[in-house]
Amino acid sequence: MTLSKDDELLLNAYLDGELDFLEASRFEARLASEPALAAEIEAYRLLRAVLRSDLAEDVPSPDLRRRVTSSLDLRTPRRTPAWGALAASFLAGAVLAGSMTIGVLHREAGDELASEVVSAHIRSLMAPAPTDVPSSNHHTVKPWFNGKLAFAPVVPDLGSQGFPLVGARVDVVGLEPAATLVYSRGKHLISLTEIPAGKEAARPARSYEERGFLARSWSQGGVAYFAVTDAAASELEAFVRLFQAETAGKGQS
Amino acid sequence: MGDATDQDRFAEVFLPHLVDAFRLARWLAGSRADAEDIVQEASLRAFKGIRGFGGGDSRAWALTIVRNTSYSWLAKNRPSAVVLTEDLDQTARDRLDQSPAMERTPEAALIAKVEAEEIRKAMATLPVPFREVLVLREIHGLDYRAIAEIAELPVGTVMSRLARARRKLLDAVSGGVT
Repeated sequence: MTLSKDDELLLNAYLDGELDFLEASRFEARLASEPALAAEIEAYRLLRAVLRSDLAEDVPSPDLRRRVTSSLDLRTPRRTPAWGALAASFLAGAVLAGSMTIGVLHREAGDELASEVVSAHIRSLMAPAPTDVPSSNHHTVKPWFNGKLAFAPVVPDLGSQGFPLVGARVDVVGLEPAATLVYSRGKHLISLTEIPAGKEAARPARSYEERGFLARSWSQGGVAYFAVTDAAASELEAFVRLFQAETAGKGQS
Repeated sequence: MGDATDQDRFAEVFLPHLVDAFRLARWLAGSRADAEDIVQEASLRAFKGIRGFGGGDSRAWALTIVRNTSYSWLAKNRPSAVVLTEDLDQTARDRLDQSPAMERTPEAALIAKVEAEEIRKAMATLPVPFREVLVLREIHGLDYRAIAEIAELPVGTVMSRLARARRKLLDAVSGGVT
């Protein structure tokens, strides 16, 4: 099909999360009733997935940093990161989480998946709404995923434990659609992304910090989980422990 | 950062964005080697101007410098790549309007099969101002307003350029396999 110029702009703005809530809802209603439009946006999503997964992997040669720092007569900076405090709380978390092993305490080069999940979280904060389906009811959110994913994500209700559900969205991570639940803690949001078994089945428990956001990853029942937030490390730990307790033994259903 | 040295400030403000800087330069200049030269040049500019950084979004600040350095580099080394944007918009619009309305129903299925390599090739044929907004959006994950600030464009232009850039890539990908 060929889109009108207006529809093309609308579709792009929708894809980029630049429509306000009302415009986005109207556009989603059209997507649901116009299969041609839905097919069109699917093409855009695939294009985006390829761009993000492939093009974003370009990294400079290891020499570049050295060239830059030496040309400016910089001592290659070994900044003392704020890891001391974080490491302490993560270690405490690891002990509490029992069998979980704690991995490297920084983002490893090449861990593009974790990077993509953090990016998805950041983008969701820039968008008019962080969720595609705003709902605090897990009975609403869980069926919303039907037909959008090739698996059924777990949607635990942690509201009574201080982490109310805000809603959900679908992120594309590593070229595959992934389920992302959004919980809140005070003024902070936590994105919890689930990626089904497959290449990510055996993701080790690991912590990351990227651009001021904290992330944790682990696997359970053949599903890889990522939690990303700008809340304090201790809050993230508490959230992860609750989530793991709620989902223990459930895995993919 | 009160009495931090310029070196410290540079390490704090610019160095963390080296990979982002490289990715932007790589797509503006077209090659990795050129991109590294550009990033080195941009680093020098950033270092000299480090006192001008007034806090806020260091990534946007770094990307703006890299973007401007890339354009200077292009003007010097690839003058044909830098077209007056007004002209570009007009010619691009003409070209778009002239292109026949293709039937593109199986687009989605098609792209799934298309090698990323083909998308890379199609990217390389996009005019620089289109590629720029696409890279800032998809690779750097910036929203329209941030892109508008870095590329010094109205937000509406960011939106229309993104739409055209994507349309061109989709056309290029489906055009080859009709």
